[in-house]
Amino acid sequence: MDYIFDGIREAFVLLFSGNEEVYSAVYATLKASSLAILIALLIGFPLGFFLGYSDFPGKRFIRSVADTLLALPTVLVGLWVYAFISSRGPLGNLNLLFTIKGVIVGEVVLALPIIIALSAQAVEELDLSVRDTLLTLGATGKRLVLDMLWEARYGILMAAVTAYGRIISEVGSASMLGGNIKWRTRTITTAMAFETNKGQFAMGIALGLILLLIAFLVNGTLAFAKRRRQSR
Amino acid sequence: MLYRLTGIKRYYNERCALSIDHLVIEEGKIYGLVGPNGSGKTTLLRILAFLDEPDAGNIYYNGSLVSPQLVPSLRREVTMLLQNTRLLTRRVKDNVAFGLKMRHMDLNTIKHRVKEALEMVGLPVKDFANRQWYELSGGEAQRVALAARLALRPKVLLLDEPTANVDTVSETLINEAVVRAKEEWKTTIIMVSHDLLWLYNSADETISLWGGRVASHGPENVILGPWEKVGDGLYCKKLKDGQKIYVSGIPSSSNAVTVSPGDISLLSNAINDDGGSSCNLLRGLVTQMVYSNDGLLRVSIALGELNLVSLVDKDYIKSLDIYPGMEVYASFKPSAAQWL
Repeated sequence: MDYIFDGIREAFVLLFSGNEEVYSAVYATLKASSLAILIALLIGFPLGFFLGYSDFPGKRFIRSVADTLLALPTVLVGLWVYAFISSRGPLGNLNLLFTIKGVIVGEVVLALPIIIALSAQAVEELDLSVRDTLLTLGATGKRLVLDMLWEARYGILMAAVTAYGRIISEVGSASMLGGNIKWRTRTITTAMAFETNKGQFAMGIALGLILLLIAFLVNGTLAFAKRRRQSR
Repeated sequence: MLYRLTGIKRYYNERCALSIDHLVIEEGKIYGLVGPNGSGKTTLLRILAFLDEPDAGNIYYNGSLVSPQLVPSLRREVTMLLQNTRLLTRRVKDNVAFGLKMRHMDLNTIKHRVKEALEMVGLPVKDFANRQWYELSGGEAQRVALAARLALRPKVLLLDEPTANVDTVSETLINEAVVRAKEEWKTTIIMVSHDLLWLYNSADETISLWGGRVASHGPENVILGPWEKVGDGLYCKKLKDGQKIYVSGIPSSSNAVTVSPGDISLLSNAINDDGGSSCNLLRGLVTQMVYSNDGLLRVSIALGELNLVSLVDKDYIKSLDIYPGMEVYASFKPSAAQWL
C-alpha cells in the first residue's frame, strides 16, 4: 500500500511544483479537446438543428444512425481515422498522423454524433410548444429560428458538455492518432496509461487528479444545464 | 364581422377533426367555445390564431380572404394562450416584453405596457418583473403568459383552457383580466374553459362543438346514445336510474342529439306525465342557477349520469320557488331533439 500513498504525496509535489511534463500533457489535452469541441459544434450543431427542426424522408433513419454512433468505440474511431490519415490513406498528404491535429480529427469524429443527436433532441423537445409560443407572440422568420435556438441553449450546452466529457477522457484514439509523443501529442489519458505501465504512479496520479478536477467541472456544468432545462 | 369561416375542414391522419360549414365571429365580443374532449375546440382556436391552416375552406378576416402571405401580419393582431403554454426561459419582464419587441415598439412604451399587463393579472412589477421563469408557481406562470398576450393589446385573444391548472386566486385574476381586455381595448375574446359557470356568465355568445362540427350558437344539451327504436319514429335512451328519454327523427352516425335549453321547461311536480312518448318528463336535482346575459336564468339539472341545462324566465323560476338541491322535473318534446 505504501507505494500508493507515496504516489499520491509525490503527485501533489509534481502538481504544485509546476512539473513541465505534467503541464505539457494538460496543455495538449486542453488544446486538442477545446479545438475539437469547437469544430464539432460548428459542424454538428447546424446538422443537429436541421435534424430536429425539419421533417424529411429518411429523418428517422439518420436519427437512429446518430444515436447508434453515440456508443462508437474510441479505438474503432482511432482505427478508421488512422486508415485515412496514415501515409497510405487518402488524406496521408496532410501529414496529420502523430500530430495534435490528428488527435483533434479523432476527437471531432467522436464528438460529432453526440452533438448531432443531443442537439436534435433538444430542438425536437422544444419544437411544438416553444415554436407555437413564439409564433403567437409574433416572432417570424430569422427571429423565430434565433429565439428557438436561445430556448434550446441548455440542451445544446448539455450536448457540448457531454461530448467534451467523452473526448477529454478517451485514450484509444488519442493514443493511436497522436502516438503519445512527449511534449507534443502526449495527453493526460495517454500519459497516464504510459506512466502507469512504467510504474510511475506519481505522475499517473497527478494527471488523474487533474482529469478528476476537469470531470467535476464538466459534471457541474452538465448538472446546471440539466436543472435549467428541466425547469422550463 | 371579424372572422368568417366557410367550408373549413381539418384532418388528422385522415380523421376529420373539424368540419365547419359556416361560422361568423363578431368584433369586440367574448365567445365561449364549449364541447366535450375531441370536439375540435383547440383545432378551431389554432386555425383562428393562424397557427394551423385548414385542409379545405376559406377564412375571411376583416373581410379579406386569408392567404399564407397575409398570415405573418395577421399574427400581429391575433394572439393565443395555448393549453400547454410555456414561458420563455428568461425573466418575467422579458417574457412580457417579447411580443412588444417583435413589434419594434420603443422602450418607454414597452416599459409601460409590461407594467400595465403585469398589474392586470395581479403581479406587482416590483415583486415579479425580475424573477426568472423558474421562480414562479404554476398559477403565476400562467398569469405571466397571459400578461405577455395582454401587453400586445391584441385585436383577438384566443384562450385555450387558461384556468385549467391554476389555483383559485389565479383563476379569478385571469378571468377578470380577460373581461377587462374586452372592455378597455374592445378585444375579441374566444375562449375554451372548463369553468362553464364563468363562461356562461361572461360570454356574449357560446359556440357548441360536437364531433368537429358547430352544434349550435348558444349552449346546448348533448345527449349521447345508445338509442333503442321503440316504434312510431321514436327512439329511447335508458338512464342508469331507470328513467327514459324519448327523441324522434332519423338517427345520424354520431348517435347523439342536442336539445336547446330553451326547449326544456321545468316543473316542480310531475304533472301531465303520460309515459314520455309525447313529452319527456325527467326527475333531477337542481345543481346550478346562473343569470345569463339575456336576462334569463340558466338552470342546470343533474339526471343521474346526465346533466341538462334549461333556460327559463326568472319570474317563472320565482313562481316555482326553485333552488339548488331541489328536486324538479325537466320536460321537453321528443321532436325538440335534433340529431347531430
